[in-house]
Amino acid sequence: MRTRCRLAAPLLVLVIAVCVGGAVSAHHSRAGYDTAKEHLTTQQVVVTEVIWRNPHVYLIWDSKDGGAQKWTGEFSSPATMLSEGLSRATFKAGDPITVTFMPAKSGNPQGLVIKIVRPDGKVIIDLSERRGLLEQ
Amino acid sequence: MRQQHIRVSLVALAAMAALASPAMAGDEGQQPAPPAAVASVPPPPGWKQCPRCQNAQDRKEADAKYKVEGHPFTPRDISGVWGNQGVGATFRTPPPFTPWGQEQFNATIGDKNAAGEPLHTKDTSGEGAGSPVNCDPKGWPRLHTYNYGFEFVVLPDRVLQFFELTHTWRTIWTDGRKLPDPPPQLQWNGWNVGRWDGNTFVVEGVGFDDRSWLSDTMPDGGFPHSDEMRVVERWRRVNYGTLEVQITVTDPKTYTKPWVTPTATIRLSPGAELWEDFCVPSDYNAFNSDVYRPVATGDKK
Repeated sequence: MRTRCRLAAPLLVLVIAVCVGGAVSAHHSRAGYDTAKEHLTTQQVVVTEVIWRNPHVYLIWDSKDGGAQKWTGEFSSPATMLSEGLSRATFKAGDPITVTFMPAKSGNPQGLVIKIVRPDGKVIIDLSERRGLLEQ
Repeated sequence: MRQQHIRVSLVALAAMAALASPAMAGDEGQQPAPPAAVASVPPPPGWKQCPRCQNAQDRKEADAKYKVEGHPFTPRDISGVWGNQGVGATFRTPPPFTPWGQEQFNATIGDKNAAGEPLHTKDTSGEGAGSPVNCDPKGWPRLHTYNYGFEFVVLPDRVLQFFELTHTWRTIWTDGRKLPDPPPQLQWNGWNVGRWDGNTFVVEGVGFDDRSWLSDTMPDGGFPHSDEMRVVERWRRVNYGTLEVQITVTDPKTYTKPWVTPTATIRLSPGAELWEDFCVPSDYNAFNSDVYRPVATGDKK
């Protein structure tokens, strides 16, 4: 993204946007997630644990899709999630939610959370239209 | 195949930027602001948000509430909470490395996973999957490059700069003392003295721990410096709501000429106050074990 990018001009526009836009996250790369829009995965799950800590907030949920197993769903830092309207009180163990996420390319039961909807239809977070987040 | 990797990496980078810094958009000279899709979490009554907890709408409302536009100010008073929009352009284009500096830079590039994606394993300051504890101090001036806030507290004999990110601070002595020569020990945030040159606050620093980087580089690595680095900062409050700063890094062991950064603009954050944002080794280890490492490397949890 900085000096080591050697890119074609059209791609450079994106990189500059990212660089200037301040991709100066304090934390971890998300390169391990599948960013293809057609690979977004949606599950109806029950939250079992909320980890509201640095460097990134994550949820643990049980999913019966594809066999019962524990999944982790990654968000961003606690401070960033507060700016997005989420707090440590937003979720609690036992909450049923519908979660849409970028799956881990590794096939591990993990995802980068894009959207969460409660059973009553209330959207808790929706990053699906966030610029540059998903590969079209 | 390589192009595919580049494409995927770019999308991932964009995703990282979008997720990691949504509240940055709209800062002057940077990306245009998208409409705030959701309201941020309000602070408790009588309290303020943390700088990084604010989104663009919060900052706009705070500017109006605290009448930032046209507000009288004292050029030599830089106290207040500033930033959160990041000054990531600070260390982007280095001067040529010395041969030693090039070696140090090459050594910052870490391992890759099976897909060839970097794991940032040489960065011990919070971005690597390769270290069991990822909370080494970022140090100054790397702390300057993040989209988190800071607070200047001006005392009669010193200026304290408190950083939101990692909840640390540095002391800039203004009592007329000289920089130590040699410094009795290396420090992550260096040894710093400040003085006023007209309405410009000039800070000089030496004795920086050479394990820190000036900034990270992407997709991996970081810009190194040696224990001989000297840093000169020139801060200027151009109006009530705006600080400008330029940094010059002189490190002939690493770079063939001084690295003079572009002048960065930093906005006052009158609606914010610093909260805790520690880098906690046990939390990082748990995150690496539960989330990052299995995702980044494909290892099973």
